[in-house]
Amino acid sequence: MTAARIFGEPIPRREDPRLVSGAGRYTDDIDATALAVAFVRSPSAHASIVDIDVSGALDVPGLHAVYTYEDLTGRLAEPLPLLIPHPALTAPRTAYPLARDVVRHVGEPVVMVVAADRYAAEDACDRIEVTYRALPPVVGLAAAVRAEHAVHADVPDNVAAHLVQEVGDAPAAIAAALYRLRLDLTIERSASMPLEGRGVHARWDEVDRSLRVYSSTQTSTSLRFALAAKLELPVDRVEVVTPDVGGGFGVKIVHPWPEELLVPWAAIRLGRPVTWIEDRREHFVSSAHERGQAHEVEVGFDGEGRILGLSVRFQHDNGAYTPYGIIVPVITSTQLLGPYKPGAYRVEFTSLYTNTVQVTPYRGAGRPQGVFVMERTLDAIADHCGLSRVDVRERNFITPDEMPYDHHMTFQDGRPLVYDSGDYPALLAKLKKLVDWDAFPALREQARARGRRVGIGLACYVEGTGVGPYEGAHVRVETSGAVVVSTGLTTQGQGHETVFAQIAAQELGVSLEDVTVVTGDTRRFAYAVGTFASRAAVMSGNAVALAARKVRGKALRIAADALEADPGDLDISAGVVRVKGSPGAEIPLRTVAVLANPLRYAFDAEAQRATQFAVGGGTDTPPVAEDDEPGLEATDYYSPIRSTFASGMHAAVVETDPDTAEITILRYAVVHDCGTLINPRIVEGQIHGGVAQGVGGALYERIEYDEHGQLVNASFMDFLMPYASEVPHIETDHQQTPSPLNPLGIKGAGEAGVIPVAAALASAIEDAEGLTGTGVRITDMPIGPARLWELRARWADEDSGRDGR
Amino acid sequence: MKLTGEAMLRGGVPAVYQALHDPAVLVATIPGCERLERVGPDEYHLVVSAGVGAIRGSYAGQVRLTDTGAPHAFLLSASGTGVPGTVAADVAVRLADGPDGTTTLTYDADADVGGMIGGVGQRMLAGVARRTAQEFFTAVDAVLTGTPAPAAPAAAGGNPDGATPTVYTRASTVAGTNGLPAGFLAGALAGAGIALAGALVGGWLSGRRHGRRGR
Repeated sequence: MTAARIFGEPIPRREDPRLVSGAGRYTDDIDATALAVAFVRSPSAHASIVDIDVSGALDVPGLHAVYTYEDLTGRLAEPLPLLIPHPALTAPRTAYPLARDVVRHVGEPVVMVVAADRYAAEDACDRIEVTYRALPPVVGLAAAVRAEHAVHADVPDNVAAHLVQEVGDAPAAIAAALYRLRLDLTIERSASMPLEGRGVHARWDEVDRSLRVYSSTQTSTSLRFALAAKLELPVDRVEVVTPDVGGGFGVKIVHPWPEELLVPWAAIRLGRPVTWIEDRREHFVSSAHERGQAHEVEVGFDGEGRILGLSVRFQHDNGAYTPYGIIVPVITSTQLLGPYKPGAYRVEFTSLYTNTVQVTPYRGAGRPQGVFVMERTLDAIADHCGLSRVDVRERNFITPDEMPYDHHMTFQDGRPLVYDSGDYPALLAKLKKLVDWDAFPALREQARARGRRVGIGLACYVEGTGVGPYEGAHVRVETSGAVVVSTGLTTQGQGHETVFAQIAAQELGVSLEDVTVVTGDTRRFAYAVGTFASRAAVMSGNAVALAARKVRGKALRIAADALEADPGDLDISAGVVRVKGSPGAEIPLRTVAVLANPLRYAFDAEAQRATQFAVGGGTDTPPVAEDDEPGLEATDYYSPIRSTFASGMHAAVVETDPDTAEITILRYAVVHDCGTLINPRIVEGQIHGGVAQGVGGALYERIEYDEHGQLVNASFMDFLMPYASEVPHIETDHQQTPSPLNPLGIKGAGEAGVIPVAAALASAIEDAEGLTGTGVRITDMPIGPARLWELRARWADEDSGRDGR
Repeated sequence: MKLTGEAMLRGGVPAVYQALHDPAVLVATIPGCERLERVGPDEYHLVVSAGVGAIRGSYAGQVRLTDTGAPHAFLLSASGTGVPGTVAADVAVRLADGPDGTTTLTYDADADVGGMIGGVGQRMLAGVARRTAQEFFTAVDAVLTGTPAPAAPAAAGGNPDGATPTVYTRASTVAGTNGLPAGFLAGALAGAGIALAGALVGGWLSGRRHGRRGR
C-alpha cells in the first residue's frame, strides 16, 4: 500500500468550507420566487372550531389561496400516519394535516394561506377569524393521570400506552435485599431546536405529471413514499431531495409533517412552486418536544452496593398525538440499564396524552432520562452504603467476558436487547485517569478550606445504535476517475460527506479528493430508512464499504483481463491498478471504468486510449457477459441482525456559588467507545455538540406550559440555550471495542454526548453541595441557580426540622 | 361548492325580475362585466374583464335564464372556460315581497369550480363569491333606485340567423374587481355568477390551460 491511510484519520470535514462560508444550500435557498405559505395556528390548547371566517383576508394583495380541513380530499383528509405502531400503544391518535373540528394544542395548524410572499401570507393570516369554543385543557402529567378531562374524547383516561417488561422477579428480589431505597426522579421537557427549522418546497410539473419536493427532513425516502401514498401519486412521479439541513436532532425524522403534505398538495392545485419555512415560534409550538418524564424507583441491594432488584415505574407525557409511537419510553425502559446488570428488573410505563405539542425523539431519545434514573440510583446506593461512586458502578458492570450480554428484553427495534461488545471496566479506568478522579477529594477539601464549593460526578451509559432494517449505497467510478458515492439516508451536518468518502477511498484505493458523496436524494438512491438512532455511520458506512468492495472486485477482474494478470496479483492505489511486483504493468481505474462499458463510439480521448486494452476479447463471447452489467459501479446494502451498543462515561467537576447558587462547570471529561473510529475528529465533534445540548438540558432548558396549555417561553429570549460561554472545554479519550456485527466494526456516535450529562452534573452538584451522607438528593432536572437556591432553603428547613442526623 | 344567500332590493318583485333580465342592467351591474351579448331569449354571452396580478384579461362565458315561475323564480345556468379554470353553476333565484315595497331575493347556488380557481380553497372561493354577489346586488339596487343609468345598447353585431342580437357594453362607472388579489379574481367571477344574475361569472373565469384535476 503506497496510499496514505484514510480510514481512521482525523481528516477535516470536507463540507465545512461550504457550510461555514455561506455557500450551503438550504430549503429556503431553493426558489426565492415560489409562492409562500403561512398558517393560522390554534391559540388555544383545547377547543372546538366553531367557525372560520376568511373574508377579512380577501383584500390582502398577493393572496392566492386559503385552505381549511374541508378542502382536503381522499387520503389527505385522513389522520396522519402512525409511523411506528406498538402492541402496547392501545390508543394511538394522530392529527389531521389541518385541524378538523377540534384543536388539541396551541400551535396546531387550522388554516393554510398561500400568497405571493410570506409577508402577504402572514397579513392574510392575521385577518382570518377563527371562532373557537373552549374545551378544558389537560396540562401536565398530574392532570393527565387525574383524567378529569380527556385530550381525546374517545380516550377518557388519557392513556395512550401502558407497557411492562420484566426480567426475573424484581419485587421479590427487592423485598429480600438487605437494603432498599425509593427515589422519585423527574426530567422536564426540552426540544431539539435545530438552528434551521423545518421547511418544504414543492414544484409540480404538469406536463410530466411529476412532483419534486425539497424538505429539511431526516428521511427523504420515507417521505417520498408517504407523499405518494397521501397524494395518491405513483411513487415514480415523486422525488424528494434533502438539501443542506441546519440540524435535525430527531425532530425532522417525524414525517410526513402536515406541512410536508400540504405544501406539495398546494403546488399541484395551484400549478406553482410553493415554499413554507418554519419560523422559530412555529418550531416551538408546532413541531415536537421531548424528555418530560416522571419516574419512581425502588431498588434492593447488598452491603457491597450490588443491585439485586430494580423496579422503575414512570409516566411519559406524549403530548397531544403519537405519530412516532412510543419509541421514547420504550428506549428509556431498556437503555436505563446502561452498562449494568441489575439482577431482577421490572419496568412499567404509562404514556399519557396532554394538550401540548406532541413528543417525539430528540437526540438521546429517552436515554438521558433512563441514564439519569439509573445513575442517580447508583449514587444513592453509594451514599447509603458509604461507598465510592466508582466502586459501586464497577461492581454492577457487565464484564467483558460476559459479552455478548443478553438482557432478555426487547429493544426499540423489536429485536432482543443483546449487547454485542464493550469493555466497561477499562472505560471507567480511562475516565478516572482523564479526570484525575482519585486526586479530587484533596482538591475538594482545599477548595472548601477557601470557602469554595466544588464537586465531581460521573455517569455511564450504553447506547443502542445503528438500528435496522437496512441502508444501501451505490458506488460508481466514472471514466474521469471520479468516484461518486450515493446513499439514501440524509445528512444534517454530521460530516457524512467526509466519512463516507473516507470509507470509499480506503476500500477502492483512490484519493479522498476523487470521491464525492450524495445523500438524501431519491433521484440518486431510492431505498433508505433515514438518519436517526446514531445509525448513519453504522448503516450507510457499512453499505458504502460493501458496495465499494464490489466495485473493487469488478475493477480487478477487468484490469486482470487487460493486463493479462491474475486478479489476486493486483492492487489499487492512488487510483491506479497495478500488478504487484511488476513496475509499469498498470492501468488507471478511470480506464478500467471505460473498459467496463463497451463502447461503439470513441467520443473522447479516454475512450480512444482505452480501446487498445479492449483488444484481446474473444469474438465468440458477448461484449457484456451474461451475468455482468456495463459500468464500473455497484449497489449493496447492509442490514444488521440487531443494534450495536456503543458506550461511554462522563465526569464533570462543578463549582456552586455559596451565595448566588450559580453553577459553573470547571471540567468536563468524556471517554467514549463507538467501536472502530472512521474519523476521530468527527466523533469528537459529535460528542462536543452532544455535550452542549446535554448542558442545556441539565442546567437551562425547560419548555414551560402554564395551566391553560400556553407555552410561555416560546422564544430564544426566554427558552435558554447554552452559548459557547456556557459549554465547558471538553476533554475526550477514545476506546475502540469493535462491533462484531458489521464489516467495519463501527458503532454509532451521534447521540452519545447528550445522554449522561444531566446525570453527571446532578452527581457533581450534589457533591459540591456537600450532600453526601445527608440523604438529601438532587432528583429533578434541569437545575439552575434559582432551583438550587430553593433546594438549599428546603434542605436547611428539613435539616432543622430533623434535629440533626 | 354550494352557496346560499339573501339580498334586499328596493323595488317590487316585478321590477326586480325585469331588471335581472335586462341586459342593459346586467352589463352595468355584474362586477367586471365588459360586454354582454344577447344570443337568444334570456341567453347571453358575456365578456368579463377581470384581472389582477397574475390573472388579467378578458374571460368569456355563457348564461341562460330559465323561467321557473316568473316573476317569483328563475334558474340561472352558467358555464365557461378561461385561463384560470372552469366553472359551471346552477343558481336558483327566488323573489319574494319584502317590507315597504322591497323584494327579498334568495339564491341557492351549486357550482362546480375546477382548474386553478378550484384550487384556491373553498372558504376563499365562497368568501369571494359572497362578496361579489353583494357587489352585484348593491349595483342592481342602485339601478332600481335610479342612481346610475343603465347602459345603452351599442352597435348591433352581425348574427347569422338575422335575429336581433344586441351587444351591450358597460359604462365605466361600475367598479370591477380591481384591487382584489389574483386568486380572487377568479373567485370573484364565480361569485358574480352565482349572484347573478348574471354573471355567471363562473363562466368567465374559467380556463382550461391546466385542465381539471381530480385532486
